[in-house]
Amino acid sequence: MRLRGLLIIAALIIAASLFLPPFYITLANYVGLASIVVLGLVLLGGAGGLMSFGQAAFVGLAAYATAYLTLSYGLSPWLTLPVGLVLTGILAYVLGALTLRLTGHYLPIGTLAWSISIYYVFANVPALGKHDGLADIPGLSLFGLQLNSGRGFFYLIWAVVLLAVVSIENILDSRFGRAVRSGGRTTPMAEALGVDTARVSMAIFVYAALLAAVSGWLYAHFLRFVNPTPFGLSASIEYFFMTVIGGATSTWGAIVGAVFYIIGKQWLQTLIPALTGRVGQLDVIVFGLIIVGILHYARQGMVPFVLQWMPRRRPRDVDTNAEPLRRRAQPQAGTELLRVANVEKRFGGLAAVNGVSFDIRAGEIVALIGPNGAGKTTMFNLITGVAPQTAGEVSFCGQSLRGRRSRQVLQQGVARTFQHALLRPHMSVLENVALGAHTRGRSGIARAALRLDRREERQLLGEARRQLERVGLGDVMHVQADSLPLGKQRVVEIARALAADPLLLLLDEPAAGLRYEEKVSLAKLLTGLRAEGMTLLLVEHDMEFVMNLVDRLVVMDFGEKIAEGRPDEVQANPRVIEAYLGGVDECLPLKRAG
Amino acid sequence: MDSQIALILIEDGIASGAIYALLALTMVLVFATTRILLVSQGEFVTFAALSFASFQLGVTPQIVWLLGALAVIVSVWDSVDALREGLGRRIPSILAFNLLLPAAVIALSLWAAPLKPPVLVQAALSVAIVTVLGPLVYRVAFQPVASSSVRTLFVIAIALHFVLQGFGLLFFGAEGFRADPLLDIDISLGPVLIKGQAILSLATLAVLTAGLYAFFEFTLLGKALRATAINRVGARIVGIRTPLAGKMAFALSAFVGGVSGILAIGSTTIYYDSGFLIGLKAVLGAICGAMLSYPIAIAGSIGVGVLEALAAFWASAFTEAVVFSALVPVLLWLSLYAAPTEEGHEL
Amino acid sequence: MKRLLGLAAALALPIVSAQAEDAVLTIGATVSATGPAASLGISEKNTIELLPKAMGSVAVRYIILDDGGDPGRCVRNAKQLVEEYKADVIFGSSTIPCSIAIGDVANQTKTTQIALAPIHTSDYVFSLPQTADLMVSGLVDHMKAKGVKQAAYLGFADSLGDHNYASFLKFAEPAGIKVSANERFARNDTSVTAQVLHVMQVKPDAVFISASGTPAALPAAELKQRGYKGQIYFLHGAINSPFLRVGAKNVEGTIATAGPFSVARELPDSNPIKAHAMALINAYESKHGTGSADAFAAYAWDAHELVKAVLPQAMAKAKPGTPEFRVALHDALEASKEVAGAGAIYTMSASNHNGIDNRARVLVGIKDNKFFLLQ
Repeated sequence: MRLRGLLIIAALIIAASLFLPPFYITLANYVGLASIVVLGLVLLGGAGGLMSFGQAAFVGLAAYATAYLTLSYGLSPWLTLPVGLVLTGILAYVLGALTLRLTGHYLPIGTLAWSISIYYVFANVPALGKHDGLADIPGLSLFGLQLNSGRGFFYLIWAVVLLAVVSIENILDSRFGRAVRSGGRTTPMAEALGVDTARVSMAIFVYAALLAAVSGWLYAHFLRFVNPTPFGLSASIEYFFMTVIGGATSTWGAIVGAVFYIIGKQWLQTLIPALTGRVGQLDVIVFGLIIVGILHYARQGMVPFVLQWMPRRRPRDVDTNAEPLRRRAQPQAGTELLRVANVEKRFGGLAAVNGVSFDIRAGEIVALIGPNGAGKTTMFNLITGVAPQTAGEVSFCGQSLRGRRSRQVLQQGVARTFQHALLRPHMSVLENVALGAHTRGRSGIARAALRLDRREERQLLGEARRQLERVGLGDVMHVQADSLPLGKQRVVEIARALAADPLLLLLDEPAAGLRYEEKVSLAKLLTGLRAEGMTLLLVEHDMEFVMNLVDRLVVMDFGEKIAEGRPDEVQANPRVIEAYLGGVDECLPLKRAG
Repeated sequence: MDSQIALILIEDGIASGAIYALLALTMVLVFATTRILLVSQGEFVTFAALSFASFQLGVTPQIVWLLGALAVIVSVWDSVDALREGLGRRIPSILAFNLLLPAAVIALSLWAAPLKPPVLVQAALSVAIVTVLGPLVYRVAFQPVASSSVRTLFVIAIALHFVLQGFGLLFFGAEGFRADPLLDIDISLGPVLIKGQAILSLATLAVLTAGLYAFFEFTLLGKALRATAINRVGARIVGIRTPLAGKMAFALSAFVGGVSGILAIGSTTIYYDSGFLIGLKAVLGAICGAMLSYPIAIAGSIGVGVLEALAAFWASAFTEAVVFSALVPVLLWLSLYAAPTEEGHEL
Repeated sequence: MKRLLGLAAALALPIVSAQAEDAVLTIGATVSATGPAASLGISEKNTIELLPKAMGSVAVRYIILDDGGDPGRCVRNAKQLVEEYKADVIFGSSTIPCSIAIGDVANQTKTTQIALAPIHTSDYVFSLPQTADLMVSGLVDHMKAKGVKQAAYLGFADSLGDHNYASFLKFAEPAGIKVSANERFARNDTSVTAQVLHVMQVKPDAVFISASGTPAALPAAELKQRGYKGQIYFLHGAINSPFLRVGAKNVEGTIATAGPFSVARELPDSNPIKAHAMALINAYESKHGTGSADAFAAYAWDAHELVKAVLPQAMAKAKPGTPEFRVALHDALEASKEVAGAGAIYTMSASNHNGIDNRARVLVGIKDNKFFLLQ
């Protein structure tokens, strides 16, 4: 977030406070309160893909906590704020542990479930005033100054809003932010790149809850009255509306969404009766129609819609002088790197991989080939920990990989690409590759929010740039990943895998879907990598590509290894020919390696 | 709680559950075909129910004005689109479906209402009104953005819910309505008194489920709908027009919603905003079926109904909390054991 | 033309309201015209729209805002009424939580609030509806006279339900009545079988259904269907035509405490309430249909009557639209004596901002699907 932009916004806000009529200050306060909650949803739902319908419950928890403590125990509101935050944090952690395991649409429904339950707790506990709620909550005072006037709260609320915006922009623009945007559990890619998706999800869930808690605390002391209604289902739906209307992927969208919803509704409320003489019944209809209309034109939300007409910001230059990251010690060429011994994988009664053994030595390119359904990708998944093996042993550099998850396999030094290029479509090429270097950094959400991670970030981005230049894509660094042709996306994936500093690189059908020239440059890239000392294991279908490239082949069919050896040996192997061609009496002369 | 009370509660729960199940079925259908989580389905229930009540009072249900307005809007819109694409020959059929059919329903309602026709005719007219309304709503609210993300479609569905509910308040007022049960008999089965309306609900569930099954298995239109539900892009490639599938799904959804409404108003009071909570419970049932499986959606919905009845007995102030919280372990179980959904298929 | 002017006014709000108004009384109202309390709010809104645009020589303008039953919106509306429209008095809101929420704004800005829901009053907060205590004690008196020994409570799961239950306990115990069930239901619950079964389990002599409007009919229907033979009681909030329509034969023979407005035609002509009630009924029903006026309309009407009664006193001290006027209006209200309205006769004081007495309570029964005065 540019400092200049922030100062302009701050100046605008101060100007607004001086020139807006009092009622609009009140409205602005409500907008600010909602924005804080919606910012959490932008982080959680927009970036992290975890839509929650339970934020209103967290708002309510903090609001009730401060109301109860200030009324019954006379505590100062400034003391009840940390208490509220702690309580909400604990509740968020517990609820997160329960609901974040849910996938797909279960997650929002799950959040809906406990949100409704919490509402009924608020409404039925006598100490919390049941449906009447608690009234006459004391106001806030700062250094003896009462913050009763709308303007006092205005400054406080909007200061919090700005801090929240800055923190979330910081979080998204960091190693942790890339992990948040890596797709979580919906794709095997995130874990394969070393992202601890469970911890990342929990971190953003708790952070969003804490933001909601701050809003709740402010709400209680601003309104001086709490009751269950604003913390129920309809409030959660409203926050969801604001998130999507403003643009779930944009932090400023949170504020725009809140402004639109709250001010739009209030304004319609006076406009429609003036136009039609009917109070109450038509505004909600017109408002709903306006929302539908907006979403027809701005499907991603208002802010992204507007931004697409504005010139793109020039991306920041990547510091080429950043200190390089530590690299692993390269093994001696020829030493055994990967050993696969009698590995089996059964799905019920079907054996996808049945007693396969081979090994890979440092500095060589090996290809795993075989007809469709032979078990090659399953083999990959077994090696990289995406799927657990039923029997057998896979060891890397002498250490067993049994039971290891893909994150841990990556840390051992095995990186992979995927059959369908799994790049994050809305992130730039540089950011995608930097995601590959995730395991080589350490900053978490706290350091990211406080912007203490800049040195490491420069190193990670510098590494990403280096890898991109290594694979020859240095000129498309800042392009959005999904705008590249498939061939280049494949190469970006390779750069990403390289960014993890692996000793062994597993490539899943890297040549699939490429044009002839692209295959030629890919082959050149791969031989270049071997020359630098990298070890490669490919799964491939393209025989011509493979035969000219590799040192050794391993052939699988129906889950078993049927041949192994140099390309010319394998080509002449009758079992291989039978597997591919279904049985021929004579050897067909195949093109010799050039 | 003795066994007699338990039996009564379970019977009551199954009766409500049957209505939730009907809605859950169509909710799964609509979601699979269009990726829309139609929370506004509850409005079809209330519109039909309150229209029925209106007919009973000899008054034309005012909702026909909405129907008329939408019919005109859609007819004009589709005709202009057809002209622009040079497909002017399609206009007669466009007008037939989008203007003449609704007009016929409206005219019939206007004529028949003061005459107070027999109950079944009133019910049929009420269901007809919402069934014709369904595809028109789809055309206006969803068809232009049919390829949006699930999240955007869901927000539109929620906004639509507010719009329709607003129309409900405008046309039907804030007070509730109730009708005499269609089947006003009570059968004694041992110690338990089974209400006729409950049997009717279950029977309707059975008949409609069988009907839907036959429709999907044996008719071309039904197979087309099923194809779209399984793979939208593939269906388009073989020539099944997505708008058709969407409109069909909405028509079915509205039809089933309408029938549920007629059933519901015979056993309880329906308000302009009753639909939302009924729809939400149907969502719970549908979710149990992972938005995929119809039998489990039915079972889940009936389970929700029974749980609701039992919870209302034990702790009536906390009924909703119990019902929704009980869902969480179900969701957990489903997450761990059900097949993962494809990316982009969630909120 | 009026619409265009209204539109222009709405669009130029800040500018217009900044100008000084010449002796125009501004009455602001925030009611729940949508949302769960819509049946209450719509009655109140319709009534306010009927009110005359002048009190004597003073022009009156009414601003009606909808809050949908959400206390946050109530507060926003109250602030808009005070800060933008410079309202001299606020009517509202329709529900208890909303009215409580507005109270803070009223006290802070020193603007009189006349709440249309039964809440605890305070400095600048007045409340017109009959209190829970007043109405429930009437019911309990009748129960005691009838020899009821065990009663059950079946109420809304909201503030009203809580308040009425507390009152019920307060009066039932000294009267020797045991309250053995406390069941709750939500306004649009589709089934109350479980609650009714629970109630019938304790075999009460009387069941007190505490709900407003048509929802109150559902438990009555269920009780009758399950064969309950005891006496069913309702509260004044349930008394309206839709309730009778939905309840039909299931509410025959039930008894309720009500405001005199519900049986206005049966009141003796000497009762000052009758004249006001009939005026309201005629005005309301000529626009909205026979039988459409209910107790909530009466609350809104009476708020207007009170302001009208004390306006001269306040005008003597200050001009409308000024803070001094609002204080003067407040003081004048506190000094009002025997002001007759459509629902009650009000005598306020500094310590009593509700101002009603037993004349605001009658007992009614239901026979042949109509209300009639019991006594």
